[in-house]
Parts: sequence; C-alpha cells; structure tokens
Amino acid sequence: MTSNNRTQSLGKDSFLRPWYRTAAAVVALLLFAVIATGCSGGPNGGSQSSMTQDSRSTPTIEPVLSDGALPRFPDGTVVRVVAHDSFAVSTAVLDEFTARTGVRVEILPSGDAGTMVNAAILTKDDPQGDLLFGIDENLLAKAFDEGLFQRYSASGLGSVPMSLQADDQHRVTPIDHGDVCVNFDRSWFADRNLPVPDDLQSFTDSKYRSTLAVEDPSSSTPGLSFLLATIATFGGGEDTGPNPAWLQYWRDLKANDVSVVDSWETAYYSSFSGSSGAGNRPLVVSYASSPPAEVLDTSVPADATPTGVVAPTCYRQIEFAGVLAGAKQPRAAATFIEFMLMQSFQQDMPEQMYVYPVVDETPLPEAFSKYTTPVAEPLTLPYELVAASRERWVAQWASIFR
Amino acid sequence: MFLAAFFVWPVVAIVTRGLRPSGHWELTAIVDVFRDPSITRVMWFTVWESLLSTILCVLVGLPGAALFARFEFRGRRILWALLLVPFVLPTVVAGLAFLSLIGPAGITGVELTGTIWAILIAHLFFNYAVVVRTVGSAWAAMGESEVNAARTLGASPLRALLTITLPRLRSSVLAAASIVFLFSFTSFGIVLILGGVRQRTIEVEIYDQTARFLHLDVAAALSIMQLVGVVIILMLFNRARRSRSDGSGDHAGTPLSRRARTRGERAFIGANLLFMGLFLGCPLAVLVIRSFSTSKGWGFHAYSALGSNRRGSSAFVAPLDAVGNSLKFALATMTLSVLLGCCAAWSLARPPRLLSGNSQPTRRPKNRLKIRPRSRLGAGRVFDSLTEGFLMIPLGTSAVTVGFGCLIALADPPLDFRSSWWMLPIAHSVIALPFVVRLLVPAVRSIDPKLREAAALLGAGRFSVWFTIDLPMIRRQIAVAAGFAFAVSLGEFGATSFLVRASDVTVPIAIYRSLGRPGGDNLSQAMALSVILMAAVTVVIVVIDRLRPSTSAEF
Repeated sequence: MTSNNRTQSLGKDSFLRPWYRTAAAVVALLLFAVIATGCSGGPNGGSQSSMTQDSRSTPTIEPVLSDGALPRFPDGTVVRVVAHDSFAVSTAVLDEFTARTGVRVEILPSGDAGTMVNAAILTKDDPQGDLLFGIDENLLAKAFDEGLFQRYSASGLGSVPMSLQADDQHRVTPIDHGDVCVNFDRSWFADRNLPVPDDLQSFTDSKYRSTLAVEDPSSSTPGLSFLLATIATFGGGEDTGPNPAWLQYWRDLKANDVSVVDSWETAYYSSFSGSSGAGNRPLVVSYASSPPAEVLDTSVPADATPTGVVAPTCYRQIEFAGVLAGAKQPRAAATFIEFMLMQSFQQDMPEQMYVYPVVDETPLPEAFSKYTTPVAEPLTLPYELVAASRERWVAQWASIFR
Repeated sequence: MFLAAFFVWPVVAIVTRGLRPSGHWELTAIVDVFRDPSITRVMWFTVWESLLSTILCVLVGLPGAALFARFEFRGRRILWALLLVPFVLPTVVAGLAFLSLIGPAGITGVELTGTIWAILIAHLFFNYAVVVRTVGSAWAAMGESEVNAARTLGASPLRALLTITLPRLRSSVLAAASIVFLFSFTSFGIVLILGGVRQRTIEVEIYDQTARFLHLDVAAALSIMQLVGVVIILMLFNRARRSRSDGSGDHAGTPLSRRARTRGERAFIGANLLFMGLFLGCPLAVLVIRSFSTSKGWGFHAYSALGSNRRGSSAFVAPLDAVGNSLKFALATMTLSVLLGCCAAWSLARPPRLLSGNSQPTRRPKNRLKIRPRSRLGAGRVFDSLTEGFLMIPLGTSAVTVGFGCLIALADPPLDFRSSWWMLPIAHSVIALPFVVRLLVPAVRSIDPKLREAAALLGAGRFSVWFTIDLPMIRRQIAVAAGFAFAVSLGEFGATSFLVRASDVTVPIAIYRSLGRPGGDNLSQAMALSVILMAAVTVVIVVIDRLRPSTSAEF
C-alpha cells in the first residue's frame, strides 16, 4: 500500500507538476524532431540546390516525328501524364494513341492546376510523371524559374496561331484555350425589361446593383482571371499605391454590392440564377464555354439560350503541356505532345473539358459551334507581368475586401 | 512508429524545406509572420472560432448523448448510424446545402453567410456526431447504481446529473471536445464557403501559401504556429482530464436504455429528435431533393445518368466503382487504424505491472477520491501523456502540409509509397488514428484491473486475459472507433485529391469532378453521388454496430 499512500500524498500539489513535465517533454520532442531532420536533411538540401543549378541548363529533346508519322515504341512503354483534376479525354482517343505508338497513357490527377504545378516543383528531382498537362499562363514563370520542363519544339505548332504560343523557347506547348467571361441569365433581364450589361463598366451602374457574383482571386482560378481582366481593361497594374485605376473599379463594384464567394462551384451553383442551383445573381464569372451546358434542347436558337456571355469581359486562358525534366520516358512524352496537337485529340477536347482547340480550323462539335461564339478580342496580359505582380494585385484587392 | 514514418517525417520534411531553402536555417519568416497584423488577426479568429464551436457542440451534443445512452425509441439504431452521415459529406456539398438554406437566396430567408453563425452552425452539423457518439457510448457503458443511490438519498435528477453523471463522463466529454476543437481549428472548406471573404483561419492561410503561392517559408512558419497552438490546447485538455480521476464504467448488467416513462422524458426525446431533424436533417434533405430534381423533371434520372459514360471519357468513373474504391480504402483504413489504435491504447493505458509478479491491485477510484492509478506517475506517466497528446496532433495539422510532405518524404525507398495503393489508407489512417486512440484509451482505463487479475490468478495467460476480459468489455468503443475511422476515410478529400491514382477514384473525388462542370445535370449527379455516399455510410455503420453484442450483460 506504500505506493498508494504516495499517490495520495502527491494528490494536490502534483496536480501541476506532471503537466509541466509534459510541456517540457513536448518541447524536447519537437526540438528533437527538428534537429533530427536538420541532420538528415543536410546532405539532401545541399544536393537539391546543386540540382537546381544543373536543371537551369534546360535539356532539349530531338524531334520525334519522321515524315509526320508518330514513332513506335516497344510494347509496354508507359507515359505518365500529371494532370489537373479537370483533365478528361475519350478513352477511344487514348486507345488510338496506344494503337499507333505502342505507348500506354497513365493519368495522374494532382488536384487543381496551382496545386499540381507546386507539387511538381516540390518533386522535380524525382518527378511523378513524364509529362505535365494543364499549366496555364499565370503559372508559367514560376515553373520556368524552377527549370521544371525540357525543351521540345513540336512539329504541330505550325498550325497554332502565334497569339497562343506564349513560350518561344518551347519549354511548354499550347494545347487548348478557354476564356473566363461573365455569364448572364437571359430570362432574369428579360423579366425585368433590363438590357443585358455589355461591358465591365456597366456592372457599376446602379441599375445593375446586386447582380454580379465573382470568385475570390486568392482562392479561385477564374476569380484571378477576372481580376486580370479588370487590370487589362482599366490599367494601373504597375501602380503600387493605394489608388490604381483598376482598384477604383473594384471599389465601385463593392459599392454596387458585388458578391465575392470562394470558388467557381459556389458562384455558379449557389449564387447564379441561371444555373439549376437557382441563386439570386443573374451575372457570374464563369467560362465562355459554359452556356452550351445549360442548353437542354438543341432546337433552341442560338440567341435564346438560357445563359449567355458578356464578350468584352472575356480574359484568355491558355493551357500548356510540357515534358518534365527528369522524365523517365522523355521521347514517349514528346510523342504524346505531338498527338495532342493532332486532329483526333484536338476535336475531342471541347466536349470533354469545355475548352477550345488551339489548332487552326479544327471542327467544333455542334453544341459549341452553335451556342458559343469565338471571342474575337479576348483580354490578355503578358505572363511575365502577371507572374511578377500577381501577389501584389491580390493583396491590393484584399485590402478593400478583407 | 507508424506516425513517425507517415506523419512526422513528411511534415518535418516540408517544414524543413520551407525554413532552410539553401541548406541553412532562415528563420526570418517566422518573425515576419508574427509581426504581420493580418496573420495575428487570423490566428485569434481561428482560436476563438474553434473554442466557441467546441463549447456549442458539447452543450448541444450532451442531451443527444443522454438520449442514446438512456432511452429506447423507435429507429434508435438507424439514427445512431445516420449521425455519422454529415461527418462523411464533402464540405463543398454540405456547403452548397447550407447556402441554399441560410445563404443570400436561402429558403429560410435568414442570411447568415459571412457571419460567425454560419460557421458555427456548420461546425455543429459536422461535429455533432463526434460528441454524441463518443460520450453516448461511454454513458451507455456506465452503470446507474450510483445515480440510483443518490436519487434514493433524495438528490434531484438534476443534482444527480451534475454531481454524479457528468463528473464520471468527464474523460469522454473532454476527449470529444478535443476532437471537435481540432476539427474546428483546422476547418478549411466551411470557412471558405460560408465565412465569406473576410473570415479566414490559419488552415486557409497555410493552404494559400503552400498550394497556391509555394511560399514554403511562410507556410512552414504558419504550420509551426498551428502545431504549437494544437499542442498547448491538447495539454490544457489533458490537464483538465487528469485533474480528476478518470470516469469509470462499471458495466452494470441492468438494461440501461429503456422506453420513456414520464411526460418529461418524452418531451426530452422529442426535443432532441426535433433538434436533429432541424440541424442535421434539413441540409441532408436539401441534398436528397436536389438529387431527384433534374432537367427532365423529378425522378431517378440523375442516378441512372451516373452509370452511362455518355462521352466515353477517360475521367469517367462508374459510381459503383467509385463506391467500391471508397469502401476498399475505408475498410483498409479501418483495419489499419483500429489495429494500431488498439496497440497504442493498451500501451498507453497499461495496467500497473499487471503480469510482472508484484502486482498490487490499484484501488479503483471510488467516491471520487483523487487517487490516480499508479502507472501515471513518474517518467512513465510523462511519456504516456506525451505519446497520447502526440497521437492527436495529426488532427490539428493542415492536410495540405501532410499531403505535400508525403510527396517529398515518401518518394524514396524504403518508404516509396507514392504510387502504391497503400498510400491512401496510410494517409487516412494518420487522420483516423487520433479518433481511435482517444476513444479507446478511456475505455481501456476504465476496465477494472481486478477482473484481469482474477483471470490471471485463475490461470489465464496474457493473451487470454486480453481476449476474454479486455476485448469484450470495450467492444462498444471499438465499434464506435471503427465507425469513425471508416467515416473519416470515406469522406476525406483534401489529401486524397492529390494522392489518389486515376484508377481508384473515390466517391468524394467523383463528386468534385461532377461539380466542377457547368450544367444542371452535373449538379444533380453530384448530389446523387452524395446521397449514395450517405446511404453507403449508413449501411456500413449499421453493420459495424450490429457486429458487437447488443449488451454486455455477461458482466
């Protein structure tokens, strides 16, 4: 019973002491963990920085096509494509690639585009795949700085308009483009005898009060594109002060009760009155390719679709693919890039991913050719400028919304 | 060891990468982060938002726990299982449901988005089950003899509740509270969807800095801050728990739950059910209704459309396959985390040198004397509480930190799991393990050592004691823990989204894919998938609950 007595005698005053000991021990454990990795991480960290230096001298892959024909690889060759989670392609098209080249395609979904690129940067010394698909212009500069890609100049680029070729060093190849545009709910405006607003400026008009829903540019890709659209339209992007022209526009939007939500899903399905989610905002930042999805009956004429696009608000978004530095199958990856620029893949993309092909004169599926109009003059900003200023712009934006 | 390999190592890897980008430590980021007033604001918001959520959940959850522990009513079993449904719902789906109730165009006409209330209600929705199931199972295992004694001696029911029942439930209430706290502390999707642009938590900042801007230094500083916060809070919980003797179940043989007898009791049941219907039922009902309303009118169109791969897409997953994948991962997670959790729980709740010869029966803490079991003295005790606290930390760590860390740390042999099927069950187990441990430790501790000793005295071996005494006595808690582990895995999205392989897409991933596309049919298909997920979890939890004997009458 002695130990029990001791327990009792410790009773009240030991109440705190074990707690202090716990605290001390936790701190010790954390310190130990940090020190342990400090030691083991040492050589690793060293080699990484030297690897970065090496990968700056970007390797180049020789052309893979011979007389315009795809090469054949030994059976069982696998090319692994790191893609964002919206990536989709017909299985028939993938089968065609395998039949023509002997290469099987394995897709590795890696979250949204930003997450995917950052994960690829973190694992660049030992990449998860051979090819990365779906990096957009805004993420290019960071990827180039990190030496993420090898050079490959695709033969298919000849039929891609120069305006879509952002990288003259061919580290990445444009595959598709889409446009982020404000969508409107046709019946909402018709019911109220209001004209549909026709440009960014009109959203600040008091008769369109409480009509627009946008996404937070810090958490959403279309939200960021819309922010860039306002900067491209109103200017002042180089202004680091509190009053650039574009920020004044946002103040006006805020005064006109713009609704800012976290993501495209929330904006489109919960705020927008034109979707089946039945929200209370008739204007939403979405894509140029969204309206066909709301058309249920293909006999509807093109000017009577439930939703439409305010064309002058459209900001161009191009998606690229590139062969990862450190790829195990660089030639097979380059071959897949060539294939992505060929007719069967380009024609397949619109209905699979709601994007437009980059190759000139690719026929569009009926829903697309009938219910979308190609945006003639989309808004753009140079990607180097976006890369250099994006975080400041988001911070300036946040200064009035947070 | 498991956590060391699959949690500590990845997290430390990503934090180190952030703080020593070029081989030497750069700690200025930490200082900068602390100086930034907006970060300080975020930190305070995170702390008080989660404290408030915890208090609310416990206050509201306790009557629910009492309901399940003490009363028998129609549909009790199915309701007990249904409680876990909110827990597995992807946040974006639940978020949409809440928006259509309390959003700008909400059915209720009350707009709460952008306020703390929306966040609190949603946290309540997600975490109610944690309190009810954790406390409820402990409460049900607790005998009523002391309460009856007090009542015989003239104590009012309220007094008996306050002086006898609640103190004895203390340990499980605190266990539930600490889990709820950690969930609210690391809340991400809910804060984004319902909190508006102004409300942000540390978790949101970490996600932005890691996945969006790749500012690993800032993210590392924030992660450390989050970790320190979690450790402090856990220590406070542990301290509160230890300052009284652990509640002990005496596993009385009397049937514990019964039908309501008085009008007051019926009113109590009614009020509880009404509350659950309102807070848990409404958002779920919205989902079910949405899944049946399609462009072709009311009906099962969305469900039948799920099965057809109209465009022959590579991204298409048959819903049955997705459900199958999810169930496989969830089963693997459940097995892995319950096995590991049992080991951890028994080593943490070690009976005082039971089989080492000089075993002196530790007196069970009766009459609320402040006697602590011997094993919790000295270095062993410190180590135990340390380990126990440590096992909780994964819940308080950002999913994106763990996920990105896994990508870096688990790339090389011998831990090359990046492309293995086991990657997901392992990641899910890291998240589920804290639940299991938190539920099992108090249960194992509450087993009367006398029983084990009696068995040992009668010649039972170590394993046979464990098998015949320990296991049957805590079956109920194991079932609850297994249910949670299963549900955690079934609903996990954050880490899954970039660790999953294309060939084994889970249901939450499929839901997000549907939601990522415009068009009414995609929305109703996402809702239909959610309903399937809800049905799957209900069925499985009912089965798990059935596996245990309905009462432990043998004691």
